[in-house]
Amino acid sequence: MAEIALNQKRRRINAVSIPAEVAINIVMILFCALCIVPFILVIIISFSAEDSIRAIGYSFLPQAWSVAAYEYAFKLGDALWRSYFNSFYITVLGTILSLIVYILYSYALSRKDFKYRNLFTFINFFVMLFGGGLVPTYCVTKQLLGLSDSYWAIIIPMLLNPFNVIVLRTFFQSSVPDELIEAASIDGSGEYNTLFKIVVPVAKPGIATIGLLTAIAYWNEWFIPKLYISASDKLHVPLQYLLMKMQADAEYIAKNSAAMGAEAGMAMMNLPTQSLRMVLVVLVVFPIACAYPFFQRYIISGLTIGSVKG
Amino acid sequence: MKMKKLLSLALVATMAMSTLAACGGKTESTSNDVAPVESVSDETGAETADSNPFEEHVTLRWYLDGNSVTNDSAVMEAINKYLNEKINADLEIIWGTWGDFDDNSLLAINSGDPVDIYFTCSWTKAEYNTYAKKGAWLRLDDPDNNILKEYGSDVWNILPQVLKDGAVTDGNDGKGVYAIPGYKDFGTQNTWDVNVTLLKELGYTLEDIESRDFFTFGDILAAAKAAKGDNFYPLVIEGAVLERMVTNSIIVNGDSTGALSYYLDPSDVSKDIGSKVVNKFATEEYKKFAEKVHEYYELGYIDPALANGATANDTLVAQQNSAQYLIGTQSYALGYEYTTSAARGIEVAYVPCTSPYVDKTAAQGAMMAISATSENPERAMAFLNLLNTDPYLMQLVAYGVEGIHYQVADNGLLIREEKDADGNVVTNYHEEYTPWRNGLGNITLLTPTVDEGEGFFTDKFIPYYTSARAIPAFGYSFDGTGLDTELAAVTSVQSTYALPLDCGAADVDEVLPKMLAELEAAGIDKIVAAANEQLDAYFASK
Repeated sequence: MAEIALNQKRRRINAVSIPAEVAINIVMILFCALCIVPFILVIIISFSAEDSIRAIGYSFLPQAWSVAAYEYAFKLGDALWRSYFNSFYITVLGTILSLIVYILYSYALSRKDFKYRNLFTFINFFVMLFGGGLVPTYCVTKQLLGLSDSYWAIIIPMLLNPFNVIVLRTFFQSSVPDELIEAASIDGSGEYNTLFKIVVPVAKPGIATIGLLTAIAYWNEWFIPKLYISASDKLHVPLQYLLMKMQADAEYIAKNSAAMGAEAGMAMMNLPTQSLRMVLVVLVVFPIACAYPFFQRYIISGLTIGSVKG
Repeated sequence: MKMKKLLSLALVATMAMSTLAACGGKTESTSNDVAPVESVSDETGAETADSNPFEEHVTLRWYLDGNSVTNDSAVMEAINKYLNEKINADLEIIWGTWGDFDDNSLLAINSGDPVDIYFTCSWTKAEYNTYAKKGAWLRLDDPDNNILKEYGSDVWNILPQVLKDGAVTDGNDGKGVYAIPGYKDFGTQNTWDVNVTLLKELGYTLEDIESRDFFTFGDILAAAKAAKGDNFYPLVIEGAVLERMVTNSIIVNGDSTGALSYYLDPSDVSKDIGSKVVNKFATEEYKKFAEKVHEYYELGYIDPALANGATANDTLVAQQNSAQYLIGTQSYALGYEYTTSAARGIEVAYVPCTSPYVDKTAAQGAMMAISATSENPERAMAFLNLLNTDPYLMQLVAYGVEGIHYQVADNGLLIREEKDADGNVVTNYHEEYTPWRNGLGNITLLTPTVDEGEGFFTDKFIPYYTSARAIPAFGYSFDGTGLDTELAAVTSVQSTYALPLDCGAADVDEVLPKMLAELEAAGIDKIVAAANEQLDAYFASK
């Protein structure tokens, strides 16, 4: 009893007043609702009957429910599952490779005794500010490296984001004390051993954060596949691009309907329905939403990068 | 220190090199400019033009738009077998889709991808006239190397004159032909899309629509609204099309702003009525139209979602497909009523506002250009020639392999899908292979499908489209060079106000004067003056 009382009392020490707490909670709940409601609407639309969408538009309370769009989506069969697999494959492989590159690059930059540190920092910084532009990038990827219609065409162009290198370098500098590295080398640890056995475990929150950002970037990427995965290649299309393609087809025809004339109407008839597009949104978002809770604790510790340490 | 400086210098040098030379010198790396590789084509031209021009086996790459193709292996095998015999070449098709064609073909052109033939037209980003000027296409009737005459005379001879005239443009090698136009539905005819089933229910007939015009539809619309309730919107329209239909104006070729208009005589589209290019929003006709459509909107005849750019298109398609409309707008193509009647489960009729006309935009609706970077332009031309004159090859490309992608009925017509009694598709033979047929070329070579009926192309299609007459200013195309700022500003104003005005959502007295003031500030007068100067020059040269 005494303990509970003590606990209650202790909690009150840092607590804000009751009205303030209520107000803050309401604001936060509203904010959460703003984030979640659109997604709930998407789920509802994906389960709405197409007739209901025609009659009353998007609504939280459709006139009729239907799983027709899901049935249709699953009938897409091979194309859909293949895309699902591709997205997972690209995300997992891409994130692992990219983390290796990030760790090696950022760790080297974080070491004050690395001779060409400034030069490589400069290179990293320079490409952050000045990109080559679309056409040269396309030329290098497609013609020089010969990357098209393969997983590598999606993975390699996204392997390194200079901004993440800077974040991770800062994290290494602030969370891994120089003394630790010195102590390791005095104890006879080689550079790779120090990096992977000592530095990486200490820097796990930072690496996990970068890992999550990279994974999301790979999962959501549709522009790079659009450039390098040709329309007749059905083996390497990721899910997000499959969705974008449907969306882009509809927009393109709408935009050009004036000049296309009657063609537009005919092309339009073959497009997927609105509820089907929402089904794809659900399918795209679901896995990444499921992955969030597992990364959450790392993200929170990752967010405190640079905060004052006690 | 010295080392570091050296290294940075080396770095800068490499970067400069890679930016400038990334494309192996084939193209300039700056945004949209294309540097054609004349030397390449000349060399191979000289080599292959000897005794047998097609001695060497080559692979042609062909970039198409608007396809839905998931498995082309059977078709490609048949095509290549045939082409190997005929022109000693293999074909590789890049099946562009509606969504990816614009960006991807542009990149392929700008970076000099090894593509021999590109789809181009008046409405894609890699627009025919613009990219002919930039040197992306090879001039086909070049006096020094007239591959059109040498390898493409067959296709050229069967094309209607109006398409040949439409293909002439001012390119980087002088005025000439830079692409082979497709013999498809090139006439434009704006029509009222009428839900006859509902019309009859209301006690009206098709003559009631034919005898009225937009300004006198009121009673029919009111009857529909009264019969079907508040959630029913009888007028399902595409704002910009409606505006052109009501004011008898057409798109000005080369105008990217959507603010210019050119007027036609609806009873005789090829008659020169002395029309000038005008700022459409400043005309009396437009004001009258906008007031009427606003009146209909206020009465609840038009769905507010149609006046919102984000929802307009989905709403339009949904309401048409579910037959939730009475009168709509439609740019007509021959045989369209059969397609839509079947798809919507109602009787659809199209009531024309004008006779079909041909403007340059429609004449350039689908073309095949040979890339300036093609290493085998002669072979590419020979392929296009064969494709557009050989029914077997055209049918193979457009419909696939017999027995797999279509069946042949007893009367010789093609069955592409089996339907049950209600018209629902039971078996879709062409599910895996549906190229955009009308973007391929001469579709009149094809055997009609069961839906189109016997003699569709010879008895209906060809007479209908060859009867379409060219508009007075047919060869004219607006050239906005030097007016970039004004064009961008006017486009921005147009895109803010035009849709709500065209669909009646905006209050005309309030919005129209505001829009006109902004258009004036954006420099519309300068654009109109330049356009008319060019128009006068065109008529003078004719």
